[in-house]
Parts: sequence; structure tokens; C-alpha cells
Amino acid sequence: MKKLYVAREHTARKPEPRISGSRARGNERSAWTGMDLLNGDIVPSLTVVLTTKGCSWARRDGCTMCGYNIDSNPYTQASDIQKQFNQVIARSGKAFKIVKLFTSGSFLDQDEVPIDVRDAILSELRGMPKVIVESRPEFVTPEICEDIAKTNEHIEVAIGLETSSDGVRNNYINKGFSFRDFVRASETARSHGFTVKAYLLLKPPFLTEREALEDALQSVRDAAPHAETISLNLCNVQKGTLVEALWKKGLYRPPWLWTAVDVLKQTQEAATVICDPVGGGSRRGPHNCRKCDREVVEEIKEFSLSQNSASFTASCTDQMLWEFVLEFEEFSYGAPLVP
Amino acid sequence: MTRQFEVTKRDGAARLGKLRWRGEELVTPCSLESKEELEFLKESTIHGVEIDVAIVAAQEETSAEQIDADIVILAGAARFRNDPRGLTKALVEARELANPDSALYVPALATPENVSLLVYAGVDLFDSVMAEVEAREGYFIDADGERRFDAVSLRPCLCSACNGANITELSFEHRVALAADHNKKALKAELNKIAEHIERGTLRELVEGRCRSAPALTALLRLLDEEYSYFERRSPIVRTATLLACSQESLNRPEIRRFGERVIERLRKREGVLLLLPCSARKPYSRSRSHRIILAHLDKLRQYLNEAIITSPIGVVPRSLEIMYPASNYDIPVTGKWTCDEREWVTGRLSQYLSVNGFESVIAHVSGPYRQICDEVATSLGIKIVHTVSDENVLSFASLERLRTVAQELIDSCSPARRDLRFDYMRDLADFQFGLHTSAAIFPEIPKVRGLFPTYYASDRGERIATITGMYGTLALTIEGARRYLRASEGSYCVQIDDFEPKGTVFAIGVLSADPGIRPFDEVIVVNDRVIAVGRALMSGWEMQASKSGGAVAVRHVESR
Repeated sequence: MKKLYVAREHTARKPEPRISGSRARGNERSAWTGMDLLNGDIVPSLTVVLTTKGCSWARRDGCTMCGYNIDSNPYTQASDIQKQFNQVIARSGKAFKIVKLFTSGSFLDQDEVPIDVRDAILSELRGMPKVIVESRPEFVTPEICEDIAKTNEHIEVAIGLETSSDGVRNNYINKGFSFRDFVRASETARSHGFTVKAYLLLKPPFLTEREALEDALQSVRDAAPHAETISLNLCNVQKGTLVEALWKKGLYRPPWLWTAVDVLKQTQEAATVICDPVGGGSRRGPHNCRKCDREVVEEIKEFSLSQNSASFTASCTDQMLWEFVLEFEEFSYGAPLVP
Repeated sequence: MTRQFEVTKRDGAARLGKLRWRGEELVTPCSLESKEELEFLKESTIHGVEIDVAIVAAQEETSAEQIDADIVILAGAARFRNDPRGLTKALVEARELANPDSALYVPALATPENVSLLVYAGVDLFDSVMAEVEAREGYFIDADGERRFDAVSLRPCLCSACNGANITELSFEHRVALAADHNKKALKAELNKIAEHIERGTLRELVEGRCRSAPALTALLRLLDEEYSYFERRSPIVRTATLLACSQESLNRPEIRRFGERVIERLRKREGVLLLLPCSARKPYSRSRSHRIILAHLDKLRQYLNEAIITSPIGVVPRSLEIMYPASNYDIPVTGKWTCDEREWVTGRLSQYLSVNGFESVIAHVSGPYRQICDEVATSLGIKIVHTVSDENVLSFASLERLRTVAQELIDSCSPARRDLRFDYMRDLADFQFGLHTSAAIFPEIPKVRGLFPTYYASDRGERIATITGMYGTLALTIEGARRYLRASEGSYCVQIDDFEPKGTVFAIGVLSADPGIRPFDEVIVVNDRVIAVGRALMSGWEMQASKSGGAVAVRHVESR
């Protein structure tokens, strides 16, 4: 007779939004510029993070690794969002080929971004070669797509699929939707002439390094037919999340950068996979042995633009350790072998 | 399913055992080395056919349910690599949750440096995963810690992996392979050494030395020592090996604390005159030159005196318990200087001893630090302690003469009853072993005590009641002694067995119930409706109840009831 005794010591904790100073007045905005890939060319891009009342799912339940809710503000008004956008455009101009509109939630959620604000912002960006909006699949409906298609023709819908495994997504990430939901949303978006980007999460909690690697490889293959671009997000430890609670107990380690390199190399033929190793080389971010972190982070960024695995030339003595971890971490029964 | 694991030897919480494992027999504690073994174990947690494996995780709230499996895995133990507090809690919790005859496996944590402490805490199974990780991180590891490749001399050691190798000429890959081989051998060698210490009952001595290589390991031992009841429940009542009190942590050994508690709680209250003497290097103290001279000088006066010995690290040893472990065989570094910890500990014990007993007067025939301790206790209790050493020499004629004069005067002033010194040993041992006042049940009237020190034996109207054993210094009862004891005992130190006549060894499987207070090597009475027997416990009483394998009692005599 088998008995499995597993501690249920963690319950997902939702981060509470911080409200202070200008945030309380709905004035916050954050934006940065960068270089991105557009139809094989490297072009300038503008990323705009709009503060809204926050992700509907985070308010109701929440994902185990996501702490973005901490940056939202429940008192945000429609006019505040419009004001934030206007301020960014006033300062940065429109001399970009790509504009990314992030809300740390769903831009297409009418409850989060009211229809008139949504349409005004998208209309303002008419003519931009690519406008990327992020959304959960439940808001990528034929009605909404029809509406926004009228305001802008070059929309890309970015969806946080995280993994193609429903088991991992719902048990370990607590994402609350299925792969079918994603596929349906992708089909809807494409039928309105939009392109689709899928975010994948490398190393959700409770997976070993090898399981994370295999999950990412499989997910790229599964998602590739339904997305023009795949963005591989390397899990980092965000404040107030379940992942952070596990990390503090020594039960989670962000992915090795070598694992990300391995995924990118192996899927090069299958899809366009880009990756920005946020927090790379820090304790809370994806890292190797510290000695080689900076170099490998740069190579991953370079690959994201070049899509050429010749970008990867770094080697380090810790690769033997990483290979051992891939092979043996499962035998620790839940704890990473190396911090 | 038959059990695949059996404990064969205990030393406190540490055990030697046999694990039937994939067609062979592993002697534990041991380390699983191959990936096949680790895979087999993991597979067995889901659908084990040959072996029953369960997983526990250190939890916030302990589940009350005992886990009865051949192997219990403490999941995620590697996270406690640098967290001695978390590790202590998790180890104690996992061991208490697992059945005593389950092997406890702590995955991906053992190194030659920490494995003795892990075994000491009650772990049976390990693996070589950390030895491999450390090699890939660039470390050679030994029982005394880790060294980076670069810092290793040409020939780091003489193990077969290192022998003849010139590490400076090797590529990184080859160094890793060499270090991994070395690290695994070092872990194995340390486990062999540990097994030897368990066999001799001296693992604590090894652990007190091993923990010095890293502050986190010393912290681990100190934190484990705070788990007094966990270790006391597993500590033997006696042992033949000498207790070596070489470190500050020696003061916190469970048997030392237990001895002190029993002296206060189990011995009957004494009155009259108390003579305090210093300890001696030779044990029992009576056999030492200094004690022989002092006692010879007192001669017949001794029959009217209570004697107690002041000593580090035990504290206060009444004369009658000098033949009982650990007073009977311990050794400390003697420099003439006492540490603050020792002084504080002994002062506390003496102060408590004087408080619970009702002595009318106290003589201290001591010098140096002993004298300072006596003065401190006298001041704090507000009592008078008469010093009889005049010139810092306990054996000078002047000191001895003064001792005799003072003793005579004090005895005259309170005229205590004369005591049989040999019976004193038997009576106090009975109370110390079986509990306060049990001596009154075993010896309702003063028996005839014969024999040479310390193997005295008592008889009543020609019938033998009890003997002091030479090997352990404990009181062994005859069947008649046991019958007398049973009339008053209410089940303590008793083992109820199934309906059979025990011969040689009673196995745990045959035990119906046992007094949970029984400790390894305790003198116990074995009973069922047909027979009564006496013997020596081989495991703790609570363990006899929970275990399904292993010897529980070595029986000495059996008679029908």
C-alpha cells in the first residue's frame, strides 16, 4: 500500500497593490525603448507599461509566479490610462516600428481598459507597422477583435500560454485556462488579420531543471503552429508570489541560463523564439555560476535578434554541474541541488 | 509484506541496520551510489513491489499518523544545507513520524563532513549526490571539510582515486572525475568509521570532534542537543565505553542531564552530615589513591556520613552511584582550570542537591576550584559549609586530621543512625533504576549484603534477591527480587509478552505492551499469565511497542508464575 505524504505548506498569496504618491493619482507610466525583430529586420521599438486597476485573474485568483499585480492601482480611472499614454507619446514620439502596450493584465479586458480608451489609443497608433497588446485568451473574442480591427490593422495579440501542458499550467502555475482556449484565441485573432505571440514560462515551480527543459521544448513545438513569435520567459522570483515563498524555503531555483540556451538552440528550426532574460545573473533571476552569467545573458539577447545559434559561443566549467543537475535533481525530492 | 529493514544495533538515536535491497543485503548507515539505485528507490515510492517506500516533507504542523514503511524519505532535505535550525526540526520530525523500524533516507545532503551528525540524529540512508555536486563545484571533500582544486597539494590523499595522481597536470574534466571519485570514497570511509563507533557505542565522541570543521555543523550539534527528550528516549542507561568529555557540548549530553535529574528525582531524601569530596581520575572513585587515603582515615565514621563527589561534567555523584554510568567511566581534560560553563553547571547541580536533601551540616574536603564552587553555593543558599582542607592539599596529614575531628563533632551533634555502606549501593541503585521508593518494595527489611566491591549481592533468609553486575554497575534482580518489585511497581519497567515461555531473547514482535520509560540496557521484568522473567532491555520500551523486528529483551531467568 502506497501512501504519499506531501506537505501542503503553501497557499498562493496574492500580492497587495502598493498605493502611494503619484500612483494613487493614476499618473504612473513607465516606458522604454529597444530593438526588436520585425519580419527579419531589427527595428526600434517602444514599450509602454500602463497602470490599470490590474489583471482580472490576479484579482480573483492569481498565478504562482506573477507579482505584477503589485504595480496596479485599483483606483485607476479611464482618463488616467489615457493620460499615461499621452505622456509617453508626448515624450518619446512615434518614430518606432513596434509599440508594445503592456498593462500587467489584459489590454483587451474592457473592465481593465475601457473601450473608448482602448480604441483611442489604438487609433492613435494607426499606421505603426506593429502594435502588440497583451491579453488573456478569454478576451480575444470575435466581437472584441472585430472592434479593434477597425481602429488598427497591425495588431499582434500576445498571450501568456506559459506551457502547452494543461497539467503544469493549471496545477503549478494556476493560470486558469487550457491549451484549447489559447488555440481558439489564436484562431480568432488570426481570422481578423492579427498576428499572435505566445509567452512561454521556462521553469514553473515544482518542476526539476530537466522537466522544465522538456516542458519548454514540447511547448515550443506545440505552440509554434499557433503563433508567429514565441517569447521564452525565464522565470524570476517576484515579490509576494508563491514562487518567492518556495524560493525562500529553498524549494525553488530560477532556471539555469544554460537551460534557456539549450531550448533556444534546439527549437531554432521549429519556430521564431525570442528571449529577454529579465534579472539574468541575479539570485532572483535566471543564472548559472555567476562567472559566466553576463556573457550568456548577452548571447541570449543577441540570439533573440539574430535567430542564429552561432551567437552561442560561451563555455564555462559550470556546464558539467548543469549537466549533472539535469540528470540528478529529481533524486533530491523537491529541493534544487545548487542554489 | 515482510519487513525489508531491521535495526541491529543502537547508539542513542543512531542505528546499524540491515536493508534487504534488490536481492542483496545492505548494511546501514550507507550511501546509495548508482543512478540505478536512486531510480529504483524513486520508482518504489509509486509502485514498489519489493520494498515499501514513503515520502515525508518537513511540515509546519506534524501529522499524528505514524508512517510504517521500509524506507521513509525526507523530501527536499538538500534545502537545509545551510540551515541547521530547519534541519534539526526536520530530522527530529521525520524520525518521530517514521516507525522506529523504518530506515530514514535523507536525499542529496550527505558529505563526509556532515554525515556523522546526520547518523547521530537518526538517519540510516544517504546517497553520493552531494559528493558529485561538490566535485563539479571544484571541491575535494573530506571529513574535515572542503578544499578547492587549486588549493590541493600534488597528492591530496592516499585513497585509490588520488594515489599517484598529479592534479596540477589534469584538465578540469579530469579533475572533476578525480574529485568525484575521491569524494565518494571519503563518504564511504567516513560511513565505515561511523559504523565502527556505533558498534562501540561511541558515536557521540566522534560527532563532538567532527562538528568543529564548520560553524554550521557545531550549531547543528548544539541545536540537536536542545532536543533533549528526543535523544533521551533513545539513550542507553549504561555503556561500557568511557565517556570522553572533551568539549563544551559534552555538558549537554543526554546521559549527563538524565543522571543529574535522576539523582534529584529518584533518590530518597538524605539527612544528617554530608561530606563533599573532589573527583579522581581513577573510577570508581573509591578505587583511587586519594579516596582510599581519605576513606581509610575516616574509617568507621563513614557509617554515619553521607558522601558525595563534586565533578565536571556530571555535577554531583552520591557515593552509592559511583559505580553507575556515566559516573563509573568518564574522562575529562584536567588542567586545574575550570571553564565558566563547567563551573556554572556544577554549581547548579550542587545547589540543587543540597536544596532537595535535608542535611544538617555539610563538610567540604576540597580545594581549588571545588572550594570556590562550594563557597558560591553556600553563599547563594545561605548555609554553612565547613571546609577541612587547610593547606590546599586534601591528603596532607593536617587536612585529614581536621576532617576526622570535624566529622566526629558534627556526627555527635546530630547522632545519625549507622548505615550499612554496602546496602547503600544496592538501595540507591534500585531507586535510581526503578524509581523513587522502589527499594522499599525490593528490600522491605535490611538484607544481608555480601560480595566484593562493587559486585555485591543481597539475600533474604538465604534467598538471593539482587546482584550488582560487574560489567555495567547496574542492579540485576533475581526472580524473587522481581516478584517483590512487581507488588509495588504498577507496570513500570515491565514488558508484557504474548503467551509463550521466553528463552534467550524476546523479540519485539512478541511484545504486547511495554513501559515506554524503559531505555536500552535497563533491567526489566518480563511477564505474561504463565511466567515471570528478568532480563536486560535491548531497545527502549516505546520502541518495543512500535517495532515489528529485532530483539527487545535479553532474558536472564525465567520461572512459572
